[in-house]
Amino acid sequence: MPILYGANPTWADVTPVPQEDGGPHPLAAIAYAEEYSEAMGYLRAVMAANEYSQRVLGLTEHIISLNPAHYTVWLYRAKVLDQIGANLADEISWLNPTALQHLKNYQIWHHRQTIIDKLGSPEGEGPFISTMLEQDSKNYHVWSYRQWLVKRFDLFDEAELAWTESMIEADARNNSAWNHRWFLVVGRKGGQALEESIVDREIQYAKAAIRKAPQNQSPWNYLGGVVRRAQLPASSLKDFVLEFADLDEPDKVFSSHALDLLADIYTQDEDKKDEARKALDLLAVKYDPIRAHYWNYRKGLLDSSPAAQQIA
Amino acid sequence: MQESSNRPLHGANESGLQYAKHIKYWRRNLKTYLPHHYTSNDSNRLTLGFFILSALDILGDLQPALSAEERQGYIKWVYSCQIPTGGFRGSPGTDFGSLRNDGNAVWDPPTVPATYFALGTLALLGDDLQGVKRREILIWLTRMQRPDGSFGETLGLGDRIEGGNDTRFGYLSTGIRWMLRGTVEGPVDGVPDVDVDQFVKCIRDSETYDGGISEDSLHEAHAGFTCCAVSALSLVDRLPLPANFAPKADDRIRGVSNLPLMLHWLTARQTMTLDEEDALDTYADETDSTATCHDGHAFLPHNYTSEAGRKSIESQPTSHFEMSWVGMNGRANKIADTCYAWWSCAPLKLLGHLELVNKKPIRRWLLDKTQHIVGGFGKLPGYPPDIYHSYLGLITLSMFGETGLQDVDPALCISTRAKEHLESLPWRKAVVGEPEPSKAETVPDLSYMTITGG
Repeated sequence: MPILYGANPTWADVTPVPQEDGGPHPLAAIAYAEEYSEAMGYLRAVMAANEYSQRVLGLTEHIISLNPAHYTVWLYRAKVLDQIGANLADEISWLNPTALQHLKNYQIWHHRQTIIDKLGSPEGEGPFISTMLEQDSKNYHVWSYRQWLVKRFDLFDEAELAWTESMIEADARNNSAWNHRWFLVVGRKGGQALEESIVDREIQYAKAAIRKAPQNQSPWNYLGGVVRRAQLPASSLKDFVLEFADLDEPDKVFSSHALDLLADIYTQDEDKKDEARKALDLLAVKYDPIRAHYWNYRKGLLDSSPAAQQIA
Repeated sequence: MQESSNRPLHGANESGLQYAKHIKYWRRNLKTYLPHHYTSNDSNRLTLGFFILSALDILGDLQPALSAEERQGYIKWVYSCQIPTGGFRGSPGTDFGSLRNDGNAVWDPPTVPATYFALGTLALLGDDLQGVKRREILIWLTRMQRPDGSFGETLGLGDRIEGGNDTRFGYLSTGIRWMLRGTVEGPVDGVPDVDVDQFVKCIRDSETYDGGISEDSLHEAHAGFTCCAVSALSLVDRLPLPANFAPKADDRIRGVSNLPLMLHWLTARQTMTLDEEDALDTYADETDSTATCHDGHAFLPHNYTSEAGRKSIESQPTSHFEMSWVGMNGRANKIADTCYAWWSCAPLKLLGHLELVNKKPIRRWLLDKTQHIVGGFGKLPGYPPDIYHSYLGLITLSMFGETGLQDVDPALCISTRAKEHLESLPWRKAVVGEPEPSKAETVPDLSYMTITGG
């Protein structure tokens, strides 16, 4: 790599600060590329002098391209942007491809939040997020960022819900999309209880998704969550569960999650302990043997106190 | 998937840990430069250093691997990362040397992760932590906590608490607190405590509808955040009490409000979806079959499925799935990944329920599928080993009781030996309040409780 700073007249007034690595036995020493070592030497020099300038902005960009997880360089960059009165929209334009190159980086999203917060508008963020999700539709950082955006700009609206539905339609097993739905439905209410109509709507939505793919754990978890949140008894789901798992037809079970919920419903009924045991046996032996230890544990709890066993 | 990843590394059918290869892998990490692609981890060298030394410790190789001179050299290096005002920087990369002053100190800050891993590394190396500015760290820790109870990563301009408010930093902060003052609550010799109640409330606020812990209130359940939360609760002694456990019962708020649901979620992390190819089928396919759902079920075609789905099932064998290998994922409907063996199983261990997963096929998955031929573990089958996955794969096997590995403490993610070393330090015993066993003449050293002025 060319030497970018040492021979550059723009940087002639800066004396780079070499890295002091604490004696002859450094831990986790890295074979730095010369390019990185040189840039870091100049970064230490300008940071030590608290220089905020256009050339420093370029330097931070260079370091970030080589080490995007350098947390102080991001904080320093934010300060530089502030001090030189940089155009924040330009900053976002630069961040977009940078985020696409580093899909699993925390700092980029923190920085983006800082900038978008200052810009005071979510405009353009939707399409950018969609581009990110095309790379990885379950990227945790992207979903978390979208949730921050919804909260910051109060976007708990029908459009957001419709977009979430389109994500679930594209992949019903995208648990991040299911969780985003929960975030919208529960989050818009703050800590308050959900209206009955909303509870009904959510239950119907989850049921429809389950009927399409009964072995998909995401809508089952969602359904259980809604029912608990609304403080409905698990038994209110019994008829629905029986569509997929009925102990009278033990060879025709279409969903281990249905069987799981059925076991839970029976567990809560003092007179149905034997049925609960049978459902848990089917799970352990036939329909979900990789969790056999867990199902057997649930079976063992059948004779203990109710508090120890109740999930729903 | 690469062919080689299916081949057991040890014998014909028996899975085995390749001790010699792992030792070689970790010694190489210790004694030679890490390849330049670790540059993206340059700010976390204390973390990498901790993993390297701790892995050798778990393998029982720390003593043989280090000369006395090297041991002192590494201790010296860790101390070189200590900030004059307390705490540790993540790497020497931000050290301005003699140019450091009050005006630029904010760009060379101590961080919570670096401080945790520095203390852990010193413990591993047998240091007594007398050179650590312990009092300053504990005061700094109280400034790292936000009003909502969460902890940040570092202090920025204007003492702004930077970094996410997720449980990673809460875990490492409570780990630092445990190392320096145990589980004692309230001020100790004039040094205030963090707000443990508020921290527990913050964790409870991150509990999800399906039983895990997320990055933030109402976000998606994730095994990494769940493990950090449960470990932190353990380190502040606020895990739920077992039923009928009266002797310890008190009014203190405790974490994990729905333990049965969390056990349900944690055990659901076991999966047969072991690599990227397994997961591809789930896109735009609404059918459930052993091909699309690798979670170990044998389902008959269902009349709810589409015509296309029905056809896709017809071509699939109806026989049972292969139970030899079971992986662990970090979220619902994700593929298995070596690191989630730790993030999902460690909380089970801390909650007293590791027996709820089937350790045998999980062990086989680690040994046959992600253990690498050169030592270490990769993230997925066929992936090259890296320090992070190699450490978490190894320590998981140790927690499972693998023969020949040292016992580990699941909350601290370190060997029991290193933990006991910390517990044996006289200054710590004086703070934690444990009586000195048969050494009545030992005077408790409280020097760190005074401002050293450095």
